[in-house]
Amino acid sequence: MPDLANTGSLQIRDVSKMFGTFQAVDGVTLDIEKGEFLTLLGPSGSGKTTLLMMIAGFLDITNGDIALDGSSITDVPAEKRNFGMVFQGYALFPHMSVRDNIGYALSVRKRPAPEIKARVDEMLDLVQLQEFADRKPTQLSGGQQQRVALARALCFAPPVLLLDEPLGALDKKLRVEVQEQLKDIHRRVGTTFIYVTHDQEEALSMSDRIVIMRDGAIEQVGTPKELYERPATKFAASFLGKSNFIRQGGKTFALRPEKIDLRTDHGGDARASGSIRSITYFGSMQRIIVDTEQGDEIEVDIDVWRNQEILSEGAAVDLLWQDAAAVELKDN
Amino acid sequence: MHALRKHLHPGWLIIAPLLVLVLALYLGPILNILWLSITDPEPGFGNYAKLGESDALVRIIWTTVRICIITTIFSVTLGYSIAYAMVHCHQRQKNYMLTLLLVSFWISILVRTFSWLMLLGRKGLVNVALEDIGLIVEPIAFMRNELGVLIGMIHYMIPYAVLPLLVSMQAIDHRVMDASRNLGATGSQTFWRIYLPLTTPGLVASTLLVFILSLGFYVTPAVLGGGKVLMVAEYISVQLLVTLKWGTAAMLAALMLFGVLAMLWIMSRFMKLSTVFGGAAR
Amino acid sequence: MQDKQFMKEMLTEGAHAYKEGRMDRRSFLALCGASGVALSSVMAGDAEAAADHVVMWNWGGQSEECHGSAIGDAFTASTGKGLKFDTSGPLEGKIKEMVDSGNVTADVADADLFNAVSLGPTGHLEPIDYSVVSKDKTLPGYALEYGVSVILYGYAFVYDTEAYGDNPPQSWADFFDTAKFPGMRSLYKWANGSLEAALMADGVAGDALYPLDMDRALAKIKSIKDDSLYWGSGSEAHSMCVNGEVTMGMIWQNRGRNIENDTDGRFKLVNNQAMAMPGAYIVPKGNPAGAAVMQFIATAQEVPAQLALLDCLGMTPSNPAAFGEIPEDQQDYAITSAKNIDKIVYNDPEWWGKNGGDAVNAFLEAIS
Repeated sequence: MPDLANTGSLQIRDVSKMFGTFQAVDGVTLDIEKGEFLTLLGPSGSGKTTLLMMIAGFLDITNGDIALDGSSITDVPAEKRNFGMVFQGYALFPHMSVRDNIGYALSVRKRPAPEIKARVDEMLDLVQLQEFADRKPTQLSGGQQQRVALARALCFAPPVLLLDEPLGALDKKLRVEVQEQLKDIHRRVGTTFIYVTHDQEEALSMSDRIVIMRDGAIEQVGTPKELYERPATKFAASFLGKSNFIRQGGKTFALRPEKIDLRTDHGGDARASGSIRSITYFGSMQRIIVDTEQGDEIEVDIDVWRNQEILSEGAAVDLLWQDAAAVELKDN
Repeated sequence: MHALRKHLHPGWLIIAPLLVLVLALYLGPILNILWLSITDPEPGFGNYAKLGESDALVRIIWTTVRICIITTIFSVTLGYSIAYAMVHCHQRQKNYMLTLLLVSFWISILVRTFSWLMLLGRKGLVNVALEDIGLIVEPIAFMRNELGVLIGMIHYMIPYAVLPLLVSMQAIDHRVMDASRNLGATGSQTFWRIYLPLTTPGLVASTLLVFILSLGFYVTPAVLGGGKVLMVAEYISVQLLVTLKWGTAAMLAALMLFGVLAMLWIMSRFMKLSTVFGGAAR
Repeated sequence: MQDKQFMKEMLTEGAHAYKEGRMDRRSFLALCGASGVALSSVMAGDAEAAADHVVMWNWGGQSEECHGSAIGDAFTASTGKGLKFDTSGPLEGKIKEMVDSGNVTADVADADLFNAVSLGPTGHLEPIDYSVVSKDKTLPGYALEYGVSVILYGYAFVYDTEAYGDNPPQSWADFFDTAKFPGMRSLYKWANGSLEAALMADGVAGDALYPLDMDRALAKIKSIKDDSLYWGSGSEAHSMCVNGEVTMGMIWQNRGRNIENDTDGRFKLVNNQAMAMPGAYIVPKGNPAGAAVMQFIATAQEVPAQLALLDCLGMTPSNPAAFGEIPEDQQDYAITSAKNIDKIVYNDPEWWGKNGGDAVNAFLEAIS
């Protein structure tokens, strides 16, 4: 096994990909630290999967360079890169048992059988599938298949693990559970995880850093908190969480709905006032849409136990927020 | 009646007349052949006993089986590469190849057989060309022997071999191959350990189809074998039409039937036949 | 081929049923539609069974036209009955099948005389009515209870003049001598004629061939097996010579003439020791036209019909009265011409009728 403590950083330099005349990835530059959990987030067509496939080596790079720990891997074929990968739909080998699937990477490297067995057992422990070792993939549930795919990709201790929407096929409840397991496994193996998803909640809850992509280029990079608290653009603000956009003095500000308060006592610190158009109940909170006197529409998320007495459709309300809550955007 | 109704889907009632008709039309002639094989010219197993008595019959059967096996091996191997090329080339080229493949189904077996004589006969294009450029002195005996029969049969069978393989290859999720590469497997490792096993049902279907069809070959061996390559189908036809030994013909036909059934049974011990005949690959 | 036959029979059956009212028009049309056959063609096929004409069962091609002009026209003129054809080839097995199935649609089959010996006693043929047909208008021994020889064809051979030059092969002994006459030869695959040729090559006299010594004949056949190809049809025999696959080929003598023509004389026909084969008319048991067919056979025996068949098909007369009238340009090719008749040998239909099946199988086993 390679010593993962010293390997697993990626340097992506001005990488582009053209499909014919279509620019799928446009000059992406990104440094990924070893052991990091980095998420590529974006809508479909944003180039996130194309970028991942170039890192994996399945797609050639039109322009630019990708390096592992400082040495270029642009010309290294996929099978020589030693990157683990969890595919969309898992792409398990249907004719092999779970054990043979997981041991495949070691087996093609012609490692001795006892070593393979020991390592596969270790991986089965890691993903808690010991009793399923001799089953075929089709005899497993979706979540179990996902874990087999993960174990298979990690079995040869790759410095980097690429995950292409690995939870896309799972239902919502299972997805949250698997997210926890994934984070746990990431902590234990210390491998660099590069994770592609279009699900913002997944990205927020799991990542060390998130790269928001749009039209083949990077929109914004940062920790989940940085991105959520300080979105740089309208796109970033609306793709990651919900946001109101208000204009003041020729500038545009993003304002998260949960950072606004509602009052009826007309204090002097009201930032805006208007009337309630609708109230939607979500259990843990309620979403209230207010039509302001300035003609804007502002969403407000507040706890359900608050302000029960004043909240009814058509009621006149004042809106309040702190200065820091409104984030000035670069794109006016 | 009540219990019966519980187990029988009403749909069966609708197709029952057709089912009975099909069964009658298939089973009737087969039973007739079996019956003939133990009654003509006299009741008993005399026709089957001939297998033990006549070296010639055994030799004809062996010739047939040998030619069919060789034909199957070559047709399926070549068919596999053709199907592979078709699945992995561009759509346009694939359409061309598919068209060529289907066109070959429309060309009569007689035309194809005689074309081989034109091409590879003693005075055929190839021999004449080779003689003209001085590579050979005597023409090479491609035709009118077992080699000729094999060339003709393999050529005829390749399209049949390709189709089941094509279906099987198209059903494979290409990401599985990506996964194998990503896990460090070389091209040949991926082929032997992933691609080949996943196309095995198609391979088996193709093998069965070609072998069984080859067993019934008549025109090609008769013409390209120069009269010296006698296969079971032609022999049966002679017994029916010329020598009037219908019992012998029926016995050989029954033998071929049992042979094919036995083959299917052996196959079924190793794999689910439903996956071979169009079932999903996994 | 066989499918087509089946379809035709099914439809003919259907046409009967329709005419007799057992099948309504719609079902019959559906049957025709399902088998892709036009109604008119089946109704024509149906007409084959009516008694205002006889149906001749032959091999089609040129013979359809020739039988019509040589026999059919005269037959129609004298009896008022027409002549129709079934061209699917009256092999022994097919005749047996037709009679056994009870659906007899042919009146007279253009077959071999030995078929009369094998199929007659088993009840598959009508006896020839010798009050209408004449025993004198064929060769002695060729007017049998269930069949009469109307024409002769012959097994002769052709050779490549460029291969053998000044010292060409003249007999079956030469044909089987691969040392003196190297090169590939072709023989008939269904034993007939090939066995006799082998025995003559081995020194058996032409009038002492029967009963055939099978072991001796097959040993001779096997002795040149490496230098032999075997043909199953006239066209195959023809192409083997024309395409240069063989330098000597056993051949039906009328085909031999075609080969001479098609190779501009490079191949030459040898009629010495040619084997005269009695082609015969036989009548399937229960034929639809009944006794009227005998008149047809009698017509075929007449000298004008005999000469017309020679002219049209190259089939040699079997009526001795016609021998003297064989025209000059046919002298080399007609085996009963003054030029050839002393050199030929005669097939024994009795032996072939009784032993033919086993002989064919033994021959096939020897060459394969």
